[in-house]
Amino acid sequence: MFLKVRLPIMLTFFAGLIPIVAFFFVDGTPVVKKLSNSLEQDMVIVSGFALLLGVVNVVQGNVRKIEPREKGWFYAIVLLAGMAFMGLFGAAGAMRLFGLPGIGMMPDGRPTPFQWGSLYMFTPLQATMFALLAFYIASAAFRAFRIRNLEATILLVAAVFVMLGRIPIGEPLFGPITEWMMQVPNGAAQRGIIIGAALGAASLSLRVILGIERSYLGLDKNE
Amino acid sequence: MNGMELFGTWVAALLTLCLMSFLYKDNPLFRFAEALFAGVSLGYYIGITMDQTLRPNLFEPLRDSGITLETGHLLFAGLVGLNLYTRYIPKIAWFARSSLAIYVGYYVGINMVQKLQGEVLPQAAATMVDLTGGGSPTAALNALVVFIGVLTVLMYFFFSVEHKGLFGKASRVGIWFLMLGFGAAFGYTVMGRISLLIGRINFLVIQWVGGTLQALGIGG
Amino acid sequence: MSNLAKLTSIDRRWIFLLIGLGTLIPVLLPIGFPVRVTAPVKQIFDKIETFGPNDVIVLSYDYGPTTGAENDPMTDAILRHCFSHDIKVIALALYPLGGLTSLTASIDRIAAEYPNLQYGVDYVNLGYKDGGQATMKLLAEDFSGAFPNDTHGTPLSELPLMQRVKGARNAQLAISVATGIFGEWWANLINAQYGLPVAVGCTAVSAPKYYAYLEAGQMIGLIGGLKGASEYEQLVKDNYPATREAYANPMLQTASKGMDVQTIDHLIIIAFIVIGNIAYFADRRAKRA
Repeated sequence: MFLKVRLPIMLTFFAGLIPIVAFFFVDGTPVVKKLSNSLEQDMVIVSGFALLLGVVNVVQGNVRKIEPREKGWFYAIVLLAGMAFMGLFGAAGAMRLFGLPGIGMMPDGRPTPFQWGSLYMFTPLQATMFALLAFYIASAAFRAFRIRNLEATILLVAAVFVMLGRIPIGEPLFGPITEWMMQVPNGAAQRGIIIGAALGAASLSLRVILGIERSYLGLDKNE
Repeated sequence: MNGMELFGTWVAALLTLCLMSFLYKDNPLFRFAEALFAGVSLGYYIGITMDQTLRPNLFEPLRDSGITLETGHLLFAGLVGLNLYTRYIPKIAWFARSSLAIYVGYYVGINMVQKLQGEVLPQAAATMVDLTGGGSPTAALNALVVFIGVLTVLMYFFFSVEHKGLFGKASRVGIWFLMLGFGAAFGYTVMGRISLLIGRINFLVIQWVGGTLQALGIGG
Repeated sequence: MSNLAKLTSIDRRWIFLLIGLGTLIPVLLPIGFPVRVTAPVKQIFDKIETFGPNDVIVLSYDYGPTTGAENDPMTDAILRHCFSHDIKVIALALYPLGGLTSLTASIDRIAAEYPNLQYGVDYVNLGYKDGGQATMKLLAEDFSGAFPNDTHGTPLSELPLMQRVKGARNAQLAISVATGIFGEWWANLINAQYGLPVAVGCTAVSAPKYYAYLEAGQMIGLIGGLKGASEYEQLVKDNYPATREAYANPMLQTASKGMDVQTIDHLIIIAFIVIGNIAYFADRRAKRA
């Protein structure tokens, strides 16, 4: 019980307290500064490990698809092959194996396999996937943007003003009002959202640190 | 453009076209490129994390200095990180909770300070200003609009009170401000998405077609 | 259903085709619309203009290839400005999904335009680091706490520029060119806790939110989307004529050229919205009748 429940809650409390205490005392107290700096350095490393957790999840999910020849099994193989290509060459580069100097360029100016994959597979795939949204946003504007009531009208007018105010031929007429709109009423709306969301996030943080919120550990309130 | 670059550019162009083929309809070429996109992205994570973070911040200091007072905590960090993976071993999956607790604890701690000191206080301070605008009617109007906007948006998000009567009317004004913000966001989103499309069209026209023609000695 | 109402149910691929042509044609036949500079962009340019050769800016690549079409012209223009004005640059990446690729490609490409620059003295590429806020707090106080080496594996102690600047808080300005939340962290963590002036070049999608930070004085300026990037390009071209040659290269993707496309595509989309609404009202009137 202690190791499974109490210890994790206590660790959250202490780990959460350190950056808070450090914020108030960091410059005058070397011990706090040292502790805080060490924890920050540790978190850089732990974040690295945490980032790779997702990789394990995806591998598990896709391997499960391949064996029983589930729908889309071929694409699961493609996914794993793509991951293996980049991952293995990336790991080999990081460990300086097979004469690889890292994950960037070779000394003679040729790309390492990882760099080649980054430039010619990763980059175009990433960029194109999001570029497709340009077409869908145009289609959505055509079909869904309607002056149905006052709120929808404000939304539409603001959108059209921005679209005109941010292009060269509309700028002389709509530019100044767009800039005012962005800075003043939009700034106020965004500020309201920021303050509201920040207060919510801070209270959630406090609940986590105090052990009231435990769902992130897979525990319910009574455990 | 040398041969290797030209080959790479062709691979990139074909992958771009495979993804774009979805605009016509869903098809196996799109599915292939989509799966490759996910796989390559995950592999990219592995490469950069190992080369840019774990090697210089964990392995090299421990290899070069051994375990000393200065580097001892790095070993601890490595173990905490590795321990996260025990969640995949059912019998000892609960081990991972301790690592997760430290990881989540640190980030919620820093987040709390960041949100209160870095967002709530400066944003509130920028709202609570001289509403006379220091004699400038424009500044006064702007300050008033911001003040009313922030207040009414916050009222809209305050769900502990029923939105009716004067409070309801005020929160409706908050909705108008939000709609204006969302409309502006939509306008900007159009610009953003078009920008990304420009990037791909530029790539296809300039680097792929232009680069290939150049390599073949046709055109400038 | 009226003919106009029928129009709204056309196959969306016709819309896609129009947007595709609206993008392709101006790319092939550039128009060259003029660019007007707005205050939030000029504020960043003017701030850098006040710096001298011993001053240092931190340029954080907080984006990847996903939004490279928007963000690359920003970092390119900022680098050209700094290198033309003899400002030292410490570049790093905090965005995991391609930050390193964008950083390395950009800094190598622009530095090659300035043959007199010396790596390690005039600019440094620190590479990418995981850790988000933990990394940012470390590098604010001491770069070596987060980045023991630069991206080539050289210890920071061997790089003259890094001996002059212990942490980001000792630099004169930090510019985060960002997609998503990283730019906000520079404002609400680094500016808030260390007082370092911060500027952000963000994707258009997130620009509205950044106005709140800008207006609250948490940032000194804002480059919003491709429009902002084209403004910064214009400022660099106007003030540093030597850069015009680089920008005149037809093989170069610039934000200014992109604004031609934006103009055509925005007008197409506005036309869609107008037609859609006319059809909506025509249909509503027909139903009432």
